[in-house]
Amino acid sequence: MNFFQNRYALIIIVLLISLLSACQPEGTRSKMRIGYMNCNSEEETLKRFYPLTRYLSQKLGVDFEVVPVDTQDFSERFAAGEFEFTHTNSLVYLIMHEESQLKLLATEKRGRYGSHTSGSIISRKGSGIRTLADLKGKRMIFGPQLAPSGFLAQYDTMLQGGIDPEKDLDYYAIPSGSFKHEKVVYGVYFGQYDVGTAPSLDLELMTSAGKITADDFNIVAESPIIPYCTFGANKDLDPTLVENFRKALVELTEKDVVSYQGEELKVLASAWIDGYETLEDSDYDQLRAMAKRANMPPYQEF
Amino acid sequence: MARRDHFDILTGGGLLVCALVVVFLLMVGQEKNTSAAALDKALEQQIAYQARIEFLHNLYQPVEDLRLAGQASEALLKLDELARHYPQEAHGEILQAEILLERGATKESIDHYVRAVRLNGDYVDKASPLTRRSGIQQLVNLRLPEFAARTRKNPQSLALQNTLTGLYYLQSRLSGGCE
Repeated sequence: MNFFQNRYALIIIVLLISLLSACQPEGTRSKMRIGYMNCNSEEETLKRFYPLTRYLSQKLGVDFEVVPVDTQDFSERFAAGEFEFTHTNSLVYLIMHEESQLKLLATEKRGRYGSHTSGSIISRKGSGIRTLADLKGKRMIFGPQLAPSGFLAQYDTMLQGGIDPEKDLDYYAIPSGSFKHEKVVYGVYFGQYDVGTAPSLDLELMTSAGKITADDFNIVAESPIIPYCTFGANKDLDPTLVENFRKALVELTEKDVVSYQGEELKVLASAWIDGYETLEDSDYDQLRAMAKRANMPPYQEF
Repeated sequence: MARRDHFDILTGGGLLVCALVVVFLLMVGQEKNTSAAALDKALEQQIAYQARIEFLHNLYQPVEDLRLAGQASEALLKLDELARHYPQEAHGEILQAEILLERGATKESIDHYVRAVRLNGDYVDKASPLTRRSGIQQLVNLRLPEFAARTRKNPQSLALQNTLTGLYYLQSRLSGGCE
């Protein structure tokens, strides 16, 4: 009798311990950091990704910390071990994959191309600039250097079309500060530059919002589609945790909510995301080829 | 009680005949009115349908013109602009699907085809002036085996499952199956 009583007591204790460990309150759980690449500004990054990070913390039972990171510093800070998970554009993912064997987790879906995006070269309607050949001798504005759909895709499209941006333009510039992509679009719209490189997603969103109309610009060229923003994980992390992280992302639906600062927020909508998809690393081969042709990191040769 | 004479019987009979004639004429007249009303309604529906087709052609003509001129990217932006005024319009969805397919965004193209056909079954109807049946049939024939194989290889991918479900839906609509 004593044997059975003891055994039942043991089972109950084990069950209680398991239940309690599953419901560990915030602050007592293990801690990890997610580095988020600043797209427009640090303030915007924090606002967008706090709710998603809190959702992941609740889902995985880990206290995730949001670490906003400047694009140029990203790979260096990751290599220094400042964060375990990464959220970056696809080119920065590629750099860290080559340099630090960053593991691909999930790719973000936003806009008409879903988990992919593209880069467009635009000119003002009525400017007479309609083809790549028309770019010769023109003033051009590019997006930031490490932007796959704001710089690399268009740079490569020009090279493929027989235009060398370093030799064939009058000059080219890159805007400073935040909201660089919108600065490019308005720089062309107001005539400060003859042509510019805009992510096709930004053109789509600005048209849908009524900020610009389809008749304002000529699309001189559009690049092939390449993967969009990407979540990655340090190669040395626990594989179960990494898989759970991936699953939590791809299973997110537009209905999922999280309690944040006294409000019930829709996780995807607050991060301006349509969803997540699992891609293969080979889906990034188009981007690799572009970076090689344009002599850009991680394949840059001097 | 007075007895009925021949005159009374003649008058009563005459009134009864008149009443029967009136009832007969009323019934025949009503039948004619009903069929005329039905004819009017069918005509109205036909006119409204033709007007809708004409309106859609005019509305989306700039998109078609841009596509013909090889300016698919501008055509997509024009669709974004039109969607501000006509959200959830099936014709916009079908054009978006066709352009995205040309651009190599197959999964997203299938999503738009599904949305278009859900909104308006005319796109899989052979006899409709809006029909896109052959294009959708070709898409299903080509992509269904491919996505079925990819989903078998990667059964955890929700995105692939979603695309495959979309292709099965289109296949069902092409074969006339109910939803």
